[in-house]
Amino acid sequence: MIMLPQRGFSRRKLLQWSGLSGASLLLGGCGTNLLSNQVGQISEPLNQSLESLMLSQRPVPEYPVSAIEPDKLLINTFDFTPQIDPAQFSLTLDGDVNRPMQLSFADLQKLPLTSMVIQHVCVEGWAAIVQWGGVRLRDLIALAQPKPGVRYVYFQSADGYYESWDLASSLHPQTLMAYQKNGQPLSAENGAPLRLASPVKLGYKQSKWVTQITFVNQLMPMKGYWEDQGYEWFGGL
Amino acid sequence: MTASTPSKRKAKLPSQAFLAKAFHWINIISLLLMLTSGLQIYNANPVFGGRGGWHFPPFLTLGGWLAGGRDWHFAFMWVYSLNLLGYGIYIFVTRRWQHRFASGGDLKAVQVSQNEKRKNYAWHRLVYTAIIPILLLAIVSGLSMYKPAQLHWLSGLFGNWQNLRVVHFITVPIVLLFTLVHSLLALKAGSFRLVKSMFL
Repeated sequence: MIMLPQRGFSRRKLLQWSGLSGASLLLGGCGTNLLSNQVGQISEPLNQSLESLMLSQRPVPEYPVSAIEPDKLLINTFDFTPQIDPAQFSLTLDGDVNRPMQLSFADLQKLPLTSMVIQHVCVEGWAAIVQWGGVRLRDLIALAQPKPGVRYVYFQSADGYYESWDLASSLHPQTLMAYQKNGQPLSAENGAPLRLASPVKLGYKQSKWVTQITFVNQLMPMKGYWEDQGYEWFGGL
Repeated sequence: MTASTPSKRKAKLPSQAFLAKAFHWINIISLLLMLTSGLQIYNANPVFGGRGGWHFPPFLTLGGWLAGGRDWHFAFMWVYSLNLLGYGIYIFVTRRWQHRFASGGDLKAVQVSQNEKRKNYAWHRLVYTAIIPILLLAIVSGLSMYKPAQLHWLSGLFGNWQNLRVVHFITVPIVLLFTLVHSLLALKAGSFRLVKSMFL
């Protein structure tokens, strides 16, 4: 685990405060948040099964390059922007796999490059049509060879962000470990050198600065940075 | 309506079928929760103006923050849409759709009828019939935003993401305006007795 630098007033704090003040205005306490969690706990299992049932392995139709909206992709970061030297970067694949490995950025670039123009949808409500280029996650999964019981994939990022996905969404042909955006090498603020990109998940599922991919049989109590604050885990589109 | 019978007999009070009343109640409650949690979601990135746009005051929003609003929205979407589906099956099976909703006769009545009572009643039926497609549009546009990848054929009908957001949001002012007009027309067409018959 990387030690996080202490910030005076991070986005996390801001959201916590705005959440609390919003709740207090409505019910005079944090009762609303508590009740929301309970409502979510009842509906989420149902919604999750519907979402995984709806998930198709067929590619989502893509957009023409002319439809790309470069200004619409906003930058959301929960803490800070790591500056990573691609020459020093390595991606670890581990967990319940037959062939745990470390890949350098050069290794990743030798793997087949997939490009797609898809709609990136943020949980906040905005969307942007973006071109992403990178390695299919399924190709990395094929290299690492997960053992038969594997059902979930964890992503650890250099800024301390963490995420977990269902295996089916990870195997989707348009789920990429991307290193290009809109025809250019990925910028640091967009997650350089390597980030998740997929049309089948909400933006907060698409971790930036991914350094480690871990294959597991069971979800751990920590499911993801935003999920652990109350967002839905599946976050499918 | 027997209000105009000349006899001294007490006029027959209007009454509604139990299932119609149940639908009406569940629809009001679930719509209120969908609306307030929807405004919470709206505030995370206003449809008009984005982050810099105008935000709804917190007392109109449900859930405390975005994730809480989504919890309510994606729980009560089931209650709201299954209630509407159940009602659809009910009016189809009982054939209520043939005589309880606006028809050509009502359209004609609002244009040419000299009978004020008939005219009010026709307007009332026209307005509550017209809200049904809006209630369905809220579901279709909502589904398109909830699953734009898996239901790309549905979201595609709206052209682009901003159109989709506008259409989904616009159902809110329409429903609010409808609630006002529908209440006034119900009072006009059948006075408080008609309104009471739908709630009790």
